[in-house]
Amino acid sequence: MLAGATAIFALVMGLVWAAIRRAPRAAGERVFVLGLGLAFPLVVLAALLGWGLWAGERLLPRATPDTVRVTAVARQWEWTFGYDDRPGHQTRGVLHIPAGRPVDVAITSEDVVHSFWVPRLAGKLDAVPGHENVLRLEAAAPGSYAGLGAEFNGTGYRDHRFTVIAHDAAGWGGFLAGEEP
Amino acid sequence: MGWLPGGGRAVTKKATALRLHRALTRIWASDPGWRGWLTTVNHTDLGRMFLTVAIFHFCVAGILAMLIRAQLASPRSAFMGPDVYNQVFTMHGTLMMFLFAIPLFEGLAVYLLPKMLGTRDLAFPRLTAYGFWCYVFGGSMMIFALLAGIAPNAGWFMYPPLSSTLGSPGINSDFWLIGITFVEISAISAAVEITVTVLRYRAPGMRLSQMPIFAWYALVTAVMILTGFPPLILGSILLELERAFGMPFFQVADGGDALLWQHLFWLFGHPEVYIIFLPAAAAISTIVPVMARTTLMGYGWIVAAAISLGVLSFGLWVHHMFTTGIPHMGLAYFSAASTLVAVPTAVQIFAWIGTMWKGRPEMHLPMLWIIAFFATFVIGGLTGVMVAVVPFDWQAHDTYFIVAHLHYVLIGGFVFPMLAALYYWLPHFIGRRRFFRLGETAFWLIFTGFHGTFFLLHLAGLLGMRRRIPSYEPGQGWEVINIIASVSGFLMAIGFALVLIDIVANALVAVRGSRDPWRAGTLEWAMPTPAAAYNFASLPRVASREPLYAEPDLAVRIARGDGYLGDASRGRRETLVVDVATGRPEHLVVFPGNTALPIVMAAVTGGLFLGMLIKAYWLVPISILGVMALAIRWVWTLGAVADEGEIPVGHGLALKPAPEVERPPGWWGTLFLFVANATFFGSLLFGYAFLFTIAPNWPPPAWAQPGIPGFALLALGAVAAAAGPRLARARLAASGPLAGLALTIAGAAALLGAAALTVIGLPDPSRHAFDATVWVLAAYAALHAALAGLMAAILWARVRKGFIAPTRRGDLNILGLWADYAAGAALIALLAAWLPGVLAG
Amino acid sequence: MRDILRLSLPLTLWLATFSGLYALHGLLCSSRFAQAATPDEAGRFLLTAAALLAVALQVALLLALRSGRWGAPSGFVRRTSLTLGLIALVATIWTSLPIAAVSHCL
Repeated sequence: MLAGATAIFALVMGLVWAAIRRAPRAAGERVFVLGLGLAFPLVVLAALLGWGLWAGERLLPRATPDTVRVTAVARQWEWTFGYDDRPGHQTRGVLHIPAGRPVDVAITSEDVVHSFWVPRLAGKLDAVPGHENVLRLEAAAPGSYAGLGAEFNGTGYRDHRFTVIAHDAAGWGGFLAGEEP
Repeated sequence: MGWLPGGGRAVTKKATALRLHRALTRIWASDPGWRGWLTTVNHTDLGRMFLTVAIFHFCVAGILAMLIRAQLASPRSAFMGPDVYNQVFTMHGTLMMFLFAIPLFEGLAVYLLPKMLGTRDLAFPRLTAYGFWCYVFGGSMMIFALLAGIAPNAGWFMYPPLSSTLGSPGINSDFWLIGITFVEISAISAAVEITVTVLRYRAPGMRLSQMPIFAWYALVTAVMILTGFPPLILGSILLELERAFGMPFFQVADGGDALLWQHLFWLFGHPEVYIIFLPAAAAISTIVPVMARTTLMGYGWIVAAAISLGVLSFGLWVHHMFTTGIPHMGLAYFSAASTLVAVPTAVQIFAWIGTMWKGRPEMHLPMLWIIAFFATFVIGGLTGVMVAVVPFDWQAHDTYFIVAHLHYVLIGGFVFPMLAALYYWLPHFIGRRRFFRLGETAFWLIFTGFHGTFFLLHLAGLLGMRRRIPSYEPGQGWEVINIIASVSGFLMAIGFALVLIDIVANALVAVRGSRDPWRAGTLEWAMPTPAAAYNFASLPRVASREPLYAEPDLAVRIARGDGYLGDASRGRRETLVVDVATGRPEHLVVFPGNTALPIVMAAVTGGLFLGMLIKAYWLVPISILGVMALAIRWVWTLGAVADEGEIPVGHGLALKPAPEVERPPGWWGTLFLFVANATFFGSLLFGYAFLFTIAPNWPPPAWAQPGIPGFALLALGAVAAAAGPRLARARLAASGPLAGLALTIAGAAALLGAAALTVIGLPDPSRHAFDATVWVLAAYAALHAALAGLMAAILWARVRKGFIAPTRRGDLNILGLWADYAAGAALIALLAAWLPGVLAG
Repeated sequence: MRDILRLSLPLTLWLATFSGLYALHGLLCSSRFAQAATPDEAGRFLLTAAALLAVALQVALLLALRSGRWGAPSGFVRRTSLTLGLIALVATIWTSLPIAAVSHCL
């Protein structure tokens, strides 16, 4: 997208430069309005839209047999997480997930609108009171990933953060069995 | 005067022009001294006043921006704590969007449109003044809040529950909801006026296809304001009702939903940014051909593109909500529409470049600003297309990438063209030739300062810097970007300060300039500058898009009185109303004189808003009565108790005055006010449907059950209200209109009864969102029924005074509009409220 | 005013059908009403039918604008209203494409 945008910007500014610098010349309404104004953007935008819809489709939380489901509840100003595979257990400020498996995070809020964002793992999804929004993430490798609240929610917004810890298969088994807090 | 062939004749012509000028000035001038500011209804004065106050707000918001950049220049900054910072950034956005951008367009349009269109003033001069004073008083509320440290602090788009009682229990959010709604009165009034003026107040013979392109853009923008602002006004009213009286529209526990606000806000918010861009495009379309010494390429295409942009922009709003959990297909519709909207934008850009290509652009200061526009707005448009791609937005939303994007499109797409417009029309505003050359230095400071501030912020956003954070930890790779941004921001501020100094110095000191320094072709340059109070000594007949190119001596002939209405003998402020399509003169209009009524009315309206704000609820009904009394006084000065018959307007033509016409200007104003009103009502119905289908915690404890009496009163009331004015018109010549007026009043009373029965079974509007919604629906129906009844009563009094006659029935036609709307609105509102109860049992 | 209506109707029709399509999709996927009862194929079928109806209405409007009875007789308003009619038709097709390309309620 960046390369395309740069090229288009260069084209427009090149035309502006030429229009100023050169002597007046015959300019077809057809070329400028129909060609550059209509046809060119339509073609570029059709391609961009098609790609964008395809990319978006790939990120959706489609049902698969090995999906793990967790919950995330936001409030001013902390995050609380629950685990379908370890009922009754809750963690604050840290979300445990298995690496290499799709994870569905069911997100909601107890007070104002917040947003759940782990930049390295997925896009953001809002935590809206009364609604449950499901975000699909998958950590390619085990490790620790920073998470942020991404919707302005008052004076504590800056530090409304959390960490995601992706465990390998053994570590995840251990977490579910109650070895880690 | 010197020797001229036929020198005696030249002396007579000049003397005639001078005599005409003096006579017209006596009629049209504003009051002298400071009283003039308060009682003026003249569009030239009010246009300059709007521009000045808008620039003041820009400066305040700009200082807030400097505070933000000072805070963010270094990590862990302790310059402002989060409490103060949240007020600062909220007010920066709020002031810029509501108190600077829209009023600046209003000011420019108010000043320029009558001149460009070849008429003497806008359609409703007192309304212009009322709008201005509502803007000043509403703006003062906001500035007061800022200075007192109780300013709104939930972001400029004020999402509940954060902005509601749950997240913001103090008075801060109330200032926004009440103050901004007060200011919006000025936007709606300006929009009604601009629409009626562009359609009907033009120079004789000016067809739609010969209107200056600026007028087309103004028309589209005005209609966008009429349809774009009401969703926000509704949302603000609902949120304020929630905060003041606990009516739970946005509280999920009682059947409300936070997302309702987001839909209502962005239904306004997206068109808002195109309302801001289109006037800038209007300025560019006007200035580029003049700078390039040629005509605009693709006038018809540009009109189509402006209309396309105006309507398409209403289909984009959900792209501000891509992360709220709406299903992908829903988002995809808006992603498609958001990419499509770039096409009409591109058509305009390439048409402008094509105009420059075929012409010979002269690099005066306005042209420099337009080049800056190209370089900046195109980048903003490209990043806009990027965020229209949903998966990319899922990362970029609520980061500095968006902050950078929005400043590129708003500053590049509005501020830069407006600076071009400022310098282009400056000789007209001040009547002098620019002497000091600070403007060029300011240009380079602002241009480099702007890009220095915002270009790298795209990268900061992609590196994860969220928007609205009061400070940040070091070590995330943002420090260098932010310090560059802050230093550049200060450069930009110095540049803007220089612009201000430049304008003021030139206004005070520079020499008198020539009438048409840019050698442009549109009518605003066909008058001496600064403009006379009456614009044109006589109204020219127009047959071309560039009348001054077609007839180079037009200005002289106008001044001599050669056009229409070139005579001051009747001693009153007159202009012509023309046919929409052809520009053929249809009737005469007489404008009101200077009056303090608008400022007093604005102050009393302010009482209503102030009462809500400080919870002194006794002030509200008093203010309402005050507004009603003043409105009656306002309307009473219109109309006539005797026929004048056809009046000679020049060139052998004689036309009736407005009171003797079937659809006087007030009818047209009412029609377009109803466009806004109907949009408001439509938004209310949308909100109802949204909560009904999407909000959790439905169904409510009980439905509305008005019973047979309710249905009867509604049916009878609607029929009577609609029939009343029709009966009055039909029997006007025979037995008079009083029976019809009585029927209208009876109908209104019945509708009020139906509305009352609707809420009788739901005594607590704070119990559930359904109860709250039904109360609002019933209140809406009741308000319009009451207005129709009140108007019928006023007309009753006017009949007794002799205002209404078979040849003067415009008033009855206006009543007909209000009564029909009251009947229709009551039917739809109350049936919608009762329908679930009927279906359930 | 007729000329103003001729210019404003095409895209206003697009806005109405666009909003209607979005509302229909919202209704079909809302947990309270239809999602339980309506399988994805049925929902997509309904949306496709609605989109085709929208396209048909736009074509009808375009033909009306070209006709002698409702269209502008000549000149600027005729050309511009037909251009806008075409733009509205393209917009209707463009913004309906997601129905064929994207998941229904996910």
